[in-house]
Amino acid sequence: MTALATLAPEFASVPDSTLPGPLQRYRDNAAKAIAGMAMPTRRTENWKYSSRHLQLDTALAAPLAATGTISTDIGDAYRIVIRNGVIAADESRLPAIDGIEIVRFADLDEVNAQKIVEQLDGALDTAALQFAPLNSARLQDGLLVRLASNARLDKPLFVLCQTLAEHSGSAHPRILVDAGSHSELTLVEQHESQGDAPALVNAVTELNLAAGAQVTYVRLSLDGTTVNHIGATGVRLAANARFDSHCVGFGGPLRRHDLQIRLQEAGAECRLNGVTVTLGEQHYDNHTVIEHVAPHCNSEETYRCIAAGKSHAIFNGRILIHRDAQKSVAEMSNKNLLLSSEAEIDTKPELEIYADDVKCAHGATIGQLDAESLFYLVSRGIGRTEAGTLLSMAFINELVQQIPVESVKDAIEQRLIDFIETTFQEV
Amino acid sequence: MADGNKPVKELIKREYEHGFVTEIEADTFEPGLNEDVIRRLSAIKNEPEFMLEWRLKAYRKWLEMTEPEWAHVHFPKIDYNSISYYSAPKSKADAPKSLDEVDPELLRTYEKLGIPLHERAKLAGVAVDAVFDSVSVTTTFKEQLTEAGVIFCPISEAVHKHPELIKKYLGTVVPTGDNYFAALNSAVFSDGSFVYIPEGVRCPLELSTYFRINAANTGQFERTLIIADKGSYVSYLEGCTAPMRDENQLHAAVVELVALDDAQIKYSTVQNWYPGDENGKGGIYNFVTKRGACIGRNSKISWTQVETGSAITWKYPSCVLRGENSVGEFYSVALTNNMQQADTGTKMIHLGKNTRSTIISKGISAGRSNNSYRGLVRFGPNAKGARNFTQCDSLLIGDQCGAHTFPYIESKNPSAIVEHEATTSKVSDEQLFLCRQRGIDPEQAVSMIVNGFCKEVFKELPMEFAVEATKLLEVSLEGSVG
Amino acid sequence: MLSIKNLHAAIEGKEILKGIDLEVKPGEVHAIMGPNGSGKSTLSQVLAGNDSYEVTGGEVILDGKNLLEMETEERAREGVFLAFQYPVEIPGVSNLQFLKTALNSIRKHHGQNEINAVEFMKLAREKARQVNLDESFLKRGVNEGFSGGEKKRNEIMQMLLMEPKLAILDETDSGLDIDALKTVADGVNALRSPDRSVIMVTHYQRLLSYIVPDYVHVLAGGRIIKSGGRELALELEAKGYGWLGINETATAG
Repeated sequence: MTALATLAPEFASVPDSTLPGPLQRYRDNAAKAIAGMAMPTRRTENWKYSSRHLQLDTALAAPLAATGTISTDIGDAYRIVIRNGVIAADESRLPAIDGIEIVRFADLDEVNAQKIVEQLDGALDTAALQFAPLNSARLQDGLLVRLASNARLDKPLFVLCQTLAEHSGSAHPRILVDAGSHSELTLVEQHESQGDAPALVNAVTELNLAAGAQVTYVRLSLDGTTVNHIGATGVRLAANARFDSHCVGFGGPLRRHDLQIRLQEAGAECRLNGVTVTLGEQHYDNHTVIEHVAPHCNSEETYRCIAAGKSHAIFNGRILIHRDAQKSVAEMSNKNLLLSSEAEIDTKPELEIYADDVKCAHGATIGQLDAESLFYLVSRGIGRTEAGTLLSMAFINELVQQIPVESVKDAIEQRLIDFIETTFQEV
Repeated sequence: MADGNKPVKELIKREYEHGFVTEIEADTFEPGLNEDVIRRLSAIKNEPEFMLEWRLKAYRKWLEMTEPEWAHVHFPKIDYNSISYYSAPKSKADAPKSLDEVDPELLRTYEKLGIPLHERAKLAGVAVDAVFDSVSVTTTFKEQLTEAGVIFCPISEAVHKHPELIKKYLGTVVPTGDNYFAALNSAVFSDGSFVYIPEGVRCPLELSTYFRINAANTGQFERTLIIADKGSYVSYLEGCTAPMRDENQLHAAVVELVALDDAQIKYSTVQNWYPGDENGKGGIYNFVTKRGACIGRNSKISWTQVETGSAITWKYPSCVLRGENSVGEFYSVALTNNMQQADTGTKMIHLGKNTRSTIISKGISAGRSNNSYRGLVRFGPNAKGARNFTQCDSLLIGDQCGAHTFPYIESKNPSAIVEHEATTSKVSDEQLFLCRQRGIDPEQAVSMIVNGFCKEVFKELPMEFAVEATKLLEVSLEGSVG
Repeated sequence: MLSIKNLHAAIEGKEILKGIDLEVKPGEVHAIMGPNGSGKSTLSQVLAGNDSYEVTGGEVILDGKNLLEMETEERAREGVFLAFQYPVEIPGVSNLQFLKTALNSIRKHHGQNEINAVEFMKLAREKARQVNLDESFLKRGVNEGFSGGEKKRNEIMQMLLMEPKLAILDETDSGLDIDALKTVADGVNALRSPDRSVIMVTHYQRLLSYIVPDYVHVLAGGRIIKSGGRELALELEAKGYGWLGINETATAG
């Protein structure tokens, strides 16, 4: 047996930054912890289908230097830019609302920094997130969004995570959301990139929802074709809190998103929507975990994937109902469209249930476009590319239309159409 | 008035009825495993050289392997050197030639189990091979089967009489190094059944093997090989029981099925190994590898299992669908109670064109047990037009048990279609109330609801075994409603 | 036959029945009417022995026996039949199997032999015909995929088969069209005899045009506030519940 590969030591080198003391110590401890970390292999259950895409060459260990910008139109919304893992404060457009704080970690005083350190990783199940500690070890800056009780952000907050890949390197953006009781927030986490050098983005976002808080989370994975993306989002919900997510991802050399939800107190609810499309040699791996810890919580999850070309799409959805989580209702649906004979889709909808008075169901399908529908469209004079695109869009559009931020919805819809169209032109 | 939950809370206290021990003189190996033990085993069976080589190769592979840990079960590490790898009732130098030569104590054992081996009192239309600890003790209806050209005999006998078939097929479906327990079985298997159905023959009888572990500290490692030649049909059933003992006993069997063009094999199991007591003491570790290969066109392999016994079940009867238009089926009822753990399911590997498979799995958890379905449906790049439908439902009785579903679905062919559905429910108080309001006992009501839940699977079992399975569920659930 | 005295009952600690008194003699048909939430359904459930309700006071005597001390199934075997307002589905368990098990449990209780399969089939078919339920329903899962009206007819069919001493019909008329209502009424009328009694719980008068009650009681706020003959039902129909000083929006289980 050959020795297991370990993470290149260069990744554990501490970046330059001006973080306050407690956060520096947090980062240094994380750096020590990841030294010699074993890389996941095919036998690592949660990397079973993706480990071979994990090629973290030492070149990717270098920090990315921030030069230039990506201009993104976000419409009428608030904005903050995290470029190559560092917040570009002068590009922010922030609200002035009582009870809403949007600050960089670098600007925190020692006391507040200590509080943040105590909160960090609290919404993550780090045992299942091999690369979250790497994000901590490479912490250069971070974004704190804090809403006091009853505070309400009137417009969506866009966090633009921009990667400028002129040369190889990695960025490790970090976001922490602290939503007070009955506060309301719409957060759009948009990942985008420029440049052709291979790069790695390893993003970690944590959201803590206090009682009755309502958070809508839109996560767009739009990085370019040379960017490897590993991302994790951890969410903890207190009583009667509600979390809605809309995760849209386009494939890349390696795309991985872990979404972990913990319904910690009675009455918490979540609804997770996801759309993934891959083509060419692309790869996308979605892992979601919904943990029902307390009674009377509801969860609903709908993920749709389309894979074309020689691409590979993976969905692994796990619902875990704890012993005390009676009266849980959990529904999961994963439908997949396989458009080519060289593409692959793997799905694993899991249920793990330790309470008896629950209603849980999951369904998964993999199939192709309905030949009859396709023929019907073509027989009416519609070209094959257009017909294929139309039907593929029909497969995912129901979810796209639920994205609550109008500008995002329209842009994403168009982007999906363009993306899918190319797959039919290739054929 | 009574607490509203009470009816669905208890349900679990009937004694295991096959728990007696047979006092019989036996030749039993000292515990321990090494190459010498394998040589001795092979020598006792007077095996040809090729078998010994095959065993040793498997043993060497096994030494390099590690016990699988991915299953959702927990048990203390097994000390493979504390197990005896061979135990046989002492008998005359040669195996009994007729029932008159079989030890009467043994015959009584089988009668107690409800499996009379006297052909006068045989199960109607069923030929039985009885395996007691490590050896096959008798096979009934030999003449009638021989007339039809069917070979049904202990595998130890087949090694001598049909070496060409053994050489051609043994280990082709489950290779010696397939997994840890299969490798162990390949090294030390002592007996089991062998079936060959010649071309175009519809086996005139249901074939059946009853497995019985009797001796203490003994592992049972039987090996079954069934070959259905072109256009043939066979229905085979196995049943299993063991005495109640405080220590755990290992059962690591391998079953291989081969279906050639247009052949059909229906394999049914009613597994009722001793499950241990209500505190989880004792019981059988049932670590079994069962796999069928549909190598011929239009062939079909159908697995039906009713699993109520064993402390731990680790079992995935699977189908490799290689032949065009071949069909694989898996119908399963797995019931766990008290401290039992089951991790069971199937693999449907679609390789050929237009291959189809159906999976219906019903898991029932009661007591403090854990019941997992684990399945794999894979469509290879050439599985054009392949189809799978999977339905796995779980029923929970009581709030201390667990029900889990781990399905892996992999597709590399765009024209293949897979549909997977899973649900979890409980025996509801409303259902119980309706039954009781109509005058039905709570126990009877639960058993009726559970049987209704399992109906789709029971209808796949041969008639007389469906009755047995229904009874078995009733017994296994008794006491879980108060 | 049935004697209810000062019956109190609660669910999840909330008192719903606050002292019910009711005497039902053999052969009588009593209608219990009242606005939503008055406690009508609670009364039916308590009589049948639903464990979710807690009896907090009073007594119920059926033919000299204390009903409240009996388990649900014992009450059924003693001849108490509840036609449910919302019959639950039991997937996979066929109506036939269910009915045969129930019928034999009752027969056994009375020291009778089990009914054989042939005889039972004959009986079941006959009863199904009586309520215009196609024979195929006998083979389907208990209430599985039945429409609302089919479920109600299935309840009446079961009642005919079991020939109870005391039938309690809980809102059996709700959701039925006029034809189904007549079928259900015919079924109940066929069962009427000098030694059987019926309690009909209903919100509306319309069922009472087809099953003519001997007595009508108005239940409100967990108590019977008015009793009378069949003319009381007609009066309620004409005037609503308001004239009795009942707040229609009262809430209870």
